[in-house]
Amino acid sequence: MSELKTTSLYDFHLSKNAKMIDFAGWSMPFSYDGTLKEHHYVRNSAGYFDVSHMGRLRLSYSQIEEINYLICSELKNLENTKALYSIFTSEQGTAIDDVLFWKFEDDLILICNASNTNKIKSHLEINSITYEDLTLTTDLIAIQGKNAINIIDQIMTIPDKFSTYKENNYIYARTGYTGEDGVEVMIDTKDTVDFINMLETKGVKPCGLGSRDTLRLEASLPLYGFELTDDISPVEAGLKWTITNENDYLGKQIIDEQITSRNHKHLKRFKLNAKQIARTGTICRSDGVEGIVTSGNISPILGYPIGYVLFKSNPSDDLVEFDIRGNLVEGNLLYKRFLS
Amino acid sequence: MSETKYLETHEWYKVDSDSFTVGISDFAQGELGDIVFVTLPEVGQEFSKGDPIVEVEATKTVAEAYAPMDCVITEVNSNLETEPELINNDPVGDGWMVKAEIKEMDDSGMSYQQYESFIS
Repeated sequence: MSELKTTSLYDFHLSKNAKMIDFAGWSMPFSYDGTLKEHHYVRNSAGYFDVSHMGRLRLSYSQIEEINYLICSELKNLENTKALYSIFTSEQGTAIDDVLFWKFEDDLILICNASNTNKIKSHLEINSITYEDLTLTTDLIAIQGKNAINIIDQIMTIPDKFSTYKENNYIYARTGYTGEDGVEVMIDTKDTVDFINMLETKGVKPCGLGSRDTLRLEASLPLYGFELTDDISPVEAGLKWTITNENDYLGKQIIDEQITSRNHKHLKRFKLNAKQIARTGTICRSDGVEGIVTSGNISPILGYPIGYVLFKSNPSDDLVEFDIRGNLVEGNLLYKRFLS
Repeated sequence: MSETKYLETHEWYKVDSDSFTVGISDFAQGELGDIVFVTLPEVGQEFSKGDPIVEVEATKTVAEAYAPMDCVITEVNSNLETEPELINNDPVGDGWMVKAEIKEMDDSGMSYQQYESFIS
């Protein structure tokens, strides 16, 4: 096994007694004070996450046409100070990765999943798109929470929601992955510890990947490798709202067919009427249609287990029976987000 | 009451004449992270050594605690139904899981010192 990569904050995490885990080839903090506590820091106040394992590529604005052809959303006609969540689609219409673009006047920052950085780099290379890899020379810190914006306002200019900004040594956007307001800041590795210490003095608490996962699930946000894969399209994952590309793009034909036929896999949200958690891989049935849980955990705010399930076709009933280690547990499909 | 012993599967148990109390170790609760739900057995249920007796759901994963010897359940810690976090906060005290009558004594668990070197 090759050695795990570490972010520039590795020693800092250890000094905070973080529980470290291996994640996509990186040694990353899973938790500091405990996943549930950290979940509540973000819902009630503010927390920061080291997400420097995520890939960061600088793209040239001059190739925006070529980039636009590889994603299902309209990037080209987007204002130059906006952030965009989109999906790199394959010829088969499935997801290569879900990513964020930060659009500026002169360049674009592409943020991809750590597990997909190499895949995205080769995909860009095959399509003759040049990039500068910033993953190892910068860090990415997400500051998220109910009070995050009030706190960050003391440090930097706050852009509008889903907008980008460059100021001093910060390149950032008002984006996140927790369902709370906040910013994600890209910063040179030499400046990160000072930045984190500044956040700490303002009461922002360190949070690990454990709470990042419970927060994103509760906020109804998909995670690549679970709700989206090389075998799942944006339509199947219920991400039709991302399909805004007005031009031709890779996989467009199949995606358009799926939108009209509805003859495809269907990802649904569920809640369980019990305390057991239906975890990834749990098999279930609804209305004779078989499904498999992609993610499942307790919702700390709602107090019951929630998750996503992928059905082979669209079940017409909202009752689901999960086989949790041999016990049949009832649940319901939800047509609204977990948190209103 | 005899000393608290530990199993390789990270349970602790403490024998008191013909019965014992069992729970999971501090190391185990730390590895599991926040415990959110516990499925306890019924009083009167019989188990053989190595059978799963308690299922522990944590935010990170699910785990089982195994019977340290052949036994019949005599009491369960019903506080865990409303406060599963007792296992995180006091695993070898208020976070105990079940008490059971010993059917066949097997006190072959590790001492705390042995367990400490086992997990390190």
